[in-house]
Amino acid sequence: MTTVNNPYLPELATITKIIEETPNIKSYQVVFDDQEKMGRFSFEPGQVGQLSVFGTGESTFVINSPPTRMEYLQFSVMKAGEVTGVLHDLAEGDQVGVRAPLGNWFPYEEMKGKKILFIGGGIGLAPLRTLILFMLDNRDDYDDITIIYGARTPPDLCYKDDLKDWEARADVNLILTVDAEYPEWDKRIGFVPTVLSEVAPSSENTVAITCGPPIMIKFVLQGLAQLKFKDEQIITTLEKRMKCGIGICGRCNIGSMYVCKDGPVFSLAQLKQIPPEL
Amino acid sequence: MAKLGYLPKEKLTALLEALSKEQRLFVPCQAGDAVLFQQYDATKTPCLDRPATTPPKGIIFPQDDTLFTFTYHKDAEDLKKVSVELKENLDVAPTIIFGARPCDAKGFLIYDRPYTETDTPDPYYKKRRDMTAIMTLACPAPSPGCFCTSVGGDPADKDGSDVLITQLESGYLFESITEKGETILQNSLFEEGSSYQEQAQRTHEAVAELVRKPFQVTEELTQKVLSLFENDSFWEEEANKCISCGACTYLCPTCYCFNITDEQAGSSGERIRTWDACMFYHFTLEASGHNPRALKHQRLKNRVGHKFSYYPQKYDGAIACCGCGRCVRYCPVSVDISEIVAHAQEYTNDHGE
Amino acid sequence: MTIERLKEIVHKVLPDVDVVIGYRQGFDALHATPFFITKPEEVDELIWGPLCVHNLAAYLPSLTKNKKIAVIVKGCDSRTVNQYLQENLINRENTVIIGIPCSGVISVKKVLKGLGDQPIEAVSGDGDKITVTTSQGDKALSLSEVSPDKCRTCQYPTPLIYDHLAGDPISPDKPAESVYDDVREFEKLSLGERWHYWETELSRCIRCYACRNACPMCICQDKCIAESRDPHWMTQRLNGTEKLMYHMIHALHLAGRCVECEECTRVCPVEIPVAKIKKKINMEMAELFGYKAGVGVEDTPPMFTFKVDEEKIEEHEL
Ligand SMILES: Cc1cc2nc3c(=O)[nH]c(=O)nc-3n(C[C@H](O)[C@H](O)[C@H](O)COP(=O)(O)OP(=O)(O)OC[C@H]3O[C@@H](n4cnc5c(N)ncnc54)[C@H](O)[C@@H]3O)c2cc1C
Ligand code: SF4
Ligand code: SF4
Ligand code: SF4
Ligand code: SF4
Ligand code: SF4
Ligand code: FES
Repeated sequence: MTTVNNPYLPELATITKIIEETPNIKSYQVVFDDQEKMGRFSFEPGQVGQLSVFGTGESTFVINSPPTRMEYLQFSVMKAGEVTGVLHDLAEGDQVGVRAPLGNWFPYEEMKGKKILFIGGGIGLAPLRTLILFMLDNRDDYDDITIIYGARTPPDLCYKDDLKDWEARADVNLILTVDAEYPEWDKRIGFVPTVLSEVAPSSENTVAITCGPPIMIKFVLQGLAQLKFKDEQIITTLEKRMKCGIGICGRCNIGSMYVCKDGPVFSLAQLKQIPPEL
Repeated sequence: MAKLGYLPKEKLTALLEALSKEQRLFVPCQAGDAVLFQQYDATKTPCLDRPATTPPKGIIFPQDDTLFTFTYHKDAEDLKKVSVELKENLDVAPTIIFGARPCDAKGFLIYDRPYTETDTPDPYYKKRRDMTAIMTLACPAPSPGCFCTSVGGDPADKDGSDVLITQLESGYLFESITEKGETILQNSLFEEGSSYQEQAQRTHEAVAELVRKPFQVTEELTQKVLSLFENDSFWEEEANKCISCGACTYLCPTCYCFNITDEQAGSSGERIRTWDACMFYHFTLEASGHNPRALKHQRLKNRVGHKFSYYPQKYDGAIACCGCGRCVRYCPVSVDISEIVAHAQEYTNDHGE
Repeated sequence: MTIERLKEIVHKVLPDVDVVIGYRQGFDALHATPFFITKPEEVDELIWGPLCVHNLAAYLPSLTKNKKIAVIVKGCDSRTVNQYLQENLINRENTVIIGIPCSGVISVKKVLKGLGDQPIEAVSGDGDKITVTTSQGDKALSLSEVSPDKCRTCQYPTPLIYDHLAGDPISPDKPAESVYDDVREFEKLSLGERWHYWETELSRCIRCYACRNACPMCICQDKCIAESRDPHWMTQRLNGTEKLMYHMIHALHLAGRCVECEECTRVCPVEIPVAKIKKKINMEMAELFGYKAGVGVEDTPPMFTFKVDEEKIEEHEL
């Protein structure tokens, strides 16, 4: 017997595929065990889910497969602690719990007709991937798409198959970079913010969406300001420790705003309205 | 029309007996030197003379609760294949809370907004809340540290209660506030009460006079508290004596934060929900080691901020403190939230923030 | 008068330190509260008397790392300072100790119990009596009636270590051999009775950790096993097993370190006499190793050292 709409009760799902993205990031494709629910499930690009390993706990990950491809839901997990550690030990065929979708999403309707600039670092490409694939599946709705993506070393770059794909496409401008020289690396070298300044994309009719480590974000925002991006043109995602994911348990607040429910997606203009507690 | 019932003092035990037969009845009882809400039976010693040490929030929002249990089953044919089964845990019995204070009852109104007035209501809280009646005792005297009248309350406030009880010289006057309360007052132990109403009214007014009034809520208060957000030295000064424990939040009738953890033994286990609080270091600690509220003044700022600024911003100006004074009374070092609010008002007035 | 001498001393040391930690009046007449003094004009608010119950030395480890701190300590509190020095937990160079000879403090809880938990309007002290005023009138209480357990057996009314002493030394007048009488009395109960006692007492615990955080010698604090999932020895459940586990861990980590300040008991909101558990261990420590924590600066805590042949521990034959 279960209550309809118990927001704490995860949906059981099975891992159908595991992809080793980098030495410490794995992607998990999961499918709800209840086929009917899988068929009915819908979400928006940027929304997150809580993955459960029963006995260990729950952690928050962005759904990084787009709503336009619903054969499975994909989550990418960087090994960071208890739950992510155990997730890394799971195999295809294992069961997990999923509570999704949670949170808000990228305002893709407002981006229609605009140039899109994605700037990502490391695992920060995960939420961007959802939106990138979503836009590629609705390619006509958007103007130029530029992706600047960097990681520490080439093996640390996520979604290598996608990167190959995007590189081959004429309608995407992909710029890859790594922090330092590396054998056989023939693309850019340098930190993401530096590459951003070198590429110097125009801010005109453009929306910039950025996600990555805090230090990268900090300098990317400075770089974007120099390129005359207005706060309303810059979108990022926030991260806070989470538990409930539905705005009740109290830990993810910044002032009166709850990252789990009012976020994780914010424009820089919105962020400037809330107290600085990151 | 409110129903009025009078109960002579010597019939109190009989009433508690009668109520406890029909549903779970929680009454403040002497427990060691503390007073705690306990499920009533003949072995308990009810104590109505002072507010309970801990608020009744645990009756509707238990300090530890099982959200669901899980069991791993091995497939009989393919031993490597394991499937998991979940069982929701939502058994709730009808309950009466007897002898809460008006501030205790109001605490639940503050819970209600995030827990039930949302698009993702909390079924555990809601079910218990719906099945609980609250019989509140108007405070016969203020308690050390309390300040309900500063936050829009009153020692005889009816908000959030189903019945209001007033202690009179030789008995109690019971007044129903809701339908739930009216049903309770149908018990044959009650005598006609209307002739005692005036006496009760006088008591209420006399007690209200005795409550201290450390500050006054104004429309600008939420903005004033918020304007101090980046003023570290203000918060450091308020927090320097704080020892970062959980007394103030765990004893607070309005503090509603929680943790969720899994526990497993063998092939089965449970996901539990337990109280947690923003005064603890761990509350916001992230896996990377980063902690947005690593310092105690940042945490105190969140506690005061949540009650007097963030919550009211979110919910139509409602202050998330009912002035029960427990955090003041039981703080190991007497951090006084009402004093901090008063300081915030003074500071912003003096510095024109 | 002690308070005048105290203020003089504070004025004198204030220019050389970042903060002086003393007491001032709290939210009502019965409660004192720790007072962090940084400006000379604040010194006048300083109070001293039987309401000054807190062990202010407990603030030292977190503060003396990079600040210079003066702290007011009573006789019992001074053991905390000594123990910190034994365990190298504070920087002596950054610490100024202002000692106060003390003839006893009150237990706020005991006073309130004697008064039906009314708000206190005024308190006046007079020798071994205090008079407390509520809206119901005055009530006189003898200090011995409302003193915490530690004062009843106090052996160190004058601080054992100080840089300045505000007042004339007071000699102990309580028999040293009776310090652990309450433990011995309790031990006369059967195992079943003692178990029942602690089961009942600990059933009230809400795991607020006030006892841990107030304890000057609990040094793990944010890294406490009670909240950790790595290692995952305890759950967040509120049952008897978990509570007992938490309190046993606290007590055992205090073995040979507990300075008997009884802060843990004082701060417990649900009035669990948790210091009793530690007192039993202290008694064992005294009997086994002849050691009392925080009494001498030069002592070595028994758990910090090792003797091949312990005088009072019988080895199992291998
Ligand atoms: C909106 C959002 C989206 C995220 N998306 C991804 C993603 O796509 N891929 C990815 O690898 N990581 C993502 N993270 C970070 C990820 O949630 C944490 O790394 C993860 O929860 C750590 O869990 P743990 O149990 O291994 O760590 P522990 O340190 O053992 O954490 C204990 C518990 O604290 C909570 N917690 C700790 N750190 C965080 C954190 N940074 N964010 C949220 N909860 C935390 C979790 O409930 C966790 O179970 C996201 C975080 C947020 C807030
Ligand atoms: S304010 Fe008091 S009760 Fe609250 S955490 Fe600080 S010391 Fe503990
Ligand atoms: S903040 Fe303090 S006074 Fe206000 S409701 Fe909570 S415990 Fe009571
Ligand atoms: S004050 Fe802190 S613990 Fe209490 S409800 Fe607010 S955020 Fe939660
Ligand atoms: S255990 Fe209790 S008595 Fe011992 S040092 Fe700690 S607080 Fe003081
Ligand atoms: S102070 Fe009391 S209630 Fe709090 S953890 Fe310690 S024993 Fe438990
Ligand atoms: S995760 Fe619980 S409120 Fe945001």
